[in-house]
Amino acid sequence: MSTLIDSLIAALLLVNLGLVGSSRLTGCIRLAALQGVLVGLLPLVSHAGVAPRTVILALGVISLKGIVFPRLLANAIRNADVRREIEPFVGFSVSLLMALGLVAVSFWLGSNLPLPENQFPGKLVIPGALCTILIGLFLIISRRKAVNQVLGYLVIENGIAAFGLALVPDIPMLIELGILLDVFFGIFIMAIMIYRIGREFNHIDVDRLSTLKG
Amino acid sequence: MNPGNLLWVLLLLPALGGGISLLLKSGRSILRLVAAGVFLIATGTGVFVFSLSGRLPILSRGGWLHLDALTAFHLLVMTLVFLLCSLFAVVYFQEGGRPTIDLAQARRFGALWFGALTAMTFVLLANNLGLMWVGVEATTLITAFLICLHSTPVSLEATWKYLIVCSVGVAFAFMGILLIGAAAAETSTIAGHFLDWTHLRRIAGGFDPKLMKLAFVFLLVGFGTKAGLAPFHNWLPDAHSQAPAPVSALFSGFLLNSALYALMRIFPLINAAKGISAWGGRLFVIFGLLSILLAGVFLLSQHDLKRFFAYCSVENIGIIALGLGLGPLGITASLFHTLYHSTAKVLGFSAAGRIGHMYGTMDMRRISGALRFGRWWGVGLLVSLLALSGMAPLAIFFSKFLMMRAAALNREYLVLILLLFGSCLVFITMIRRAIDLSWGEPPVQAGPAAHDHRLEKTIVLVTFALLLILGMWQPRPVLGLIRQAAAIVGGQKS
Repeated sequence: MSTLIDSLIAALLLVNLGLVGSSRLTGCIRLAALQGVLVGLLPLVSHAGVAPRTVILALGVISLKGIVFPRLLANAIRNADVRREIEPFVGFSVSLLMALGLVAVSFWLGSNLPLPENQFPGKLVIPGALCTILIGLFLIISRRKAVNQVLGYLVIENGIAAFGLALVPDIPMLIELGILLDVFFGIFIMAIMIYRIGREFNHIDVDRLSTLKG
Repeated sequence: MNPGNLLWVLLLLPALGGGISLLLKSGRSILRLVAAGVFLIATGTGVFVFSLSGRLPILSRGGWLHLDALTAFHLLVMTLVFLLCSLFAVVYFQEGGRPTIDLAQARRFGALWFGALTAMTFVLLANNLGLMWVGVEATTLITAFLICLHSTPVSLEATWKYLIVCSVGVAFAFMGILLIGAAAAETSTIAGHFLDWTHLRRIAGGFDPKLMKLAFVFLLVGFGTKAGLAPFHNWLPDAHSQAPAPVSALFSGFLLNSALYALMRIFPLINAAKGISAWGGRLFVIFGLLSILLAGVFLLSQHDLKRFFAYCSVENIGIIALGLGLGPLGITASLFHTLYHSTAKVLGFSAAGRIGHMYGTMDMRRISGALRFGRWWGVGLLVSLLALSGMAPLAIFFSKFLMMRAAALNREYLVLILLLFGSCLVFITMIRRAIDLSWGEPPVQAGPAAHDHRLEKTIVLVTFALLLILGMWQPRPVLGLIRQAAAIVGGQKS
């Protein structure tokens, strides 16, 4: 079981690097969707195994993060009619180097944080989750398209979901569904905002939204 | 019948109001519904809370909703803020008896306004920390579109910043809740409800202190972002200044407090863990002082009236956070300050909105003689500025004074000096602005003089009276509620 989990987490890390290195907006959206599916599969391989509760959760997460969110975001950028390439503040090779650094940091954090006994089989889950959260933050800070910030937020959410699964596997169903609902509405509202910003400004470059200062 | 089950009604009523406002067919009737509905809910909540005040805490069946003195106090502040803001919204969105927003905007406003009330009530009532988090995130999402009700480039910019910064911030708070959950899972014996606050409070003494410290850092950063604590406040001035005035008043009056409430809820759990009792309080003191001083400096250079009030919110949130770290007296002062600041700030933003409208600008350098020209709202602006500056005998003077006494009693002389310095800085800035805005010659090119609606006079008079009276005399039930609430935050077993 634990090799299966470790390979899922390894895939998660690879997707993180892909997100940092990818130069096309649509590619990034697909990668984030793939990551959502990977995170959705995690509960199925946890110690609870394939049970009604985990299956419902996995189905919910996979259908939202794998199908609904990518469609919403793809629609938003199509309607906002923006250029599809990413022009980051930090170049791609430097970004990749920094991402590798973040991987190292998260492994260090994973072994040094005063976390309780791991409830989850496999040693990679907590570092993998922390790394995903850090990469999400990095995406928010270093990219100028509004869509990238939404993707960064989604990546952070994925990381936190994995983190929660490793630390508190028995969160009541109601809370999980509540969180999922919040994330859904969050992405939905952000997609509407991207559309409205695109219509108002003819671009969605967040660094050019800088009238408000001080 | 178990009175706890009535708590569901408190949640359902505003949700119902939101639903109805989507069905109504004119902007005017929606605004009326908002005012009447919130008035009914506020009165109902007041009666409900006071009639139960001897029997708190109560739980709904299944333990999902929970009402104790801390919740009850915040419920009262929230409904007061909502009531004043809703009445003001009726005035603000109408001109000569006609709504200035179209039907689609009015529907959006009504639904989101009631939605925000539902979500904030949910934050206050939720017993389960996970669900409380869901509520805080929901308040962010629901209120986002209130900022850009009038869709302008700057308001979209402010909304985007608010959405991203607060969503990410609050996501970090969830890490903190997960860590508390991990600490609880080690010691807890019941499954399912182990994140319930009532349960956690009983067993918090046995939690791993290191884990709780880590959790508190995440929670403070996360909910602190939403509450507008410096240095995570940078979304706040933009959102407050670009939103329509009733929305700004609501943000400053209770949105920030609902995130602070979450911190107050969790604070006793952190304190209960062995050996870190003073540590959580120190963090509150540090971030509180930082907010007060930073906001004091930023206030000096503000020319936009609403941004000025927004930075003032950062300062006051800092004062409330500071008090949480100053022992029982400090916590009591924080709760008093919550009530006073919310009341004063609702008046402040309302007056700023109206005055800005009359002068056609929010630039304070171009507003003068407001006392004569703005009539009732001029008085409102002056009163709110004086109250927020901490001038006696208006209410905020007393909570600030109590705060300083708490610092002195704890022998925190450095804190006392910094607090005094910050307060003086704010006092001088506020008074200078108040004089410039209120007196002097009104500009010639200003629009027609205001016709004060009866409702407008009521809002100004009621808040003025509240600010004047509440500082010197509090009704016995309110005082009792604040004492009990302070005991809960302080972690004493009641």
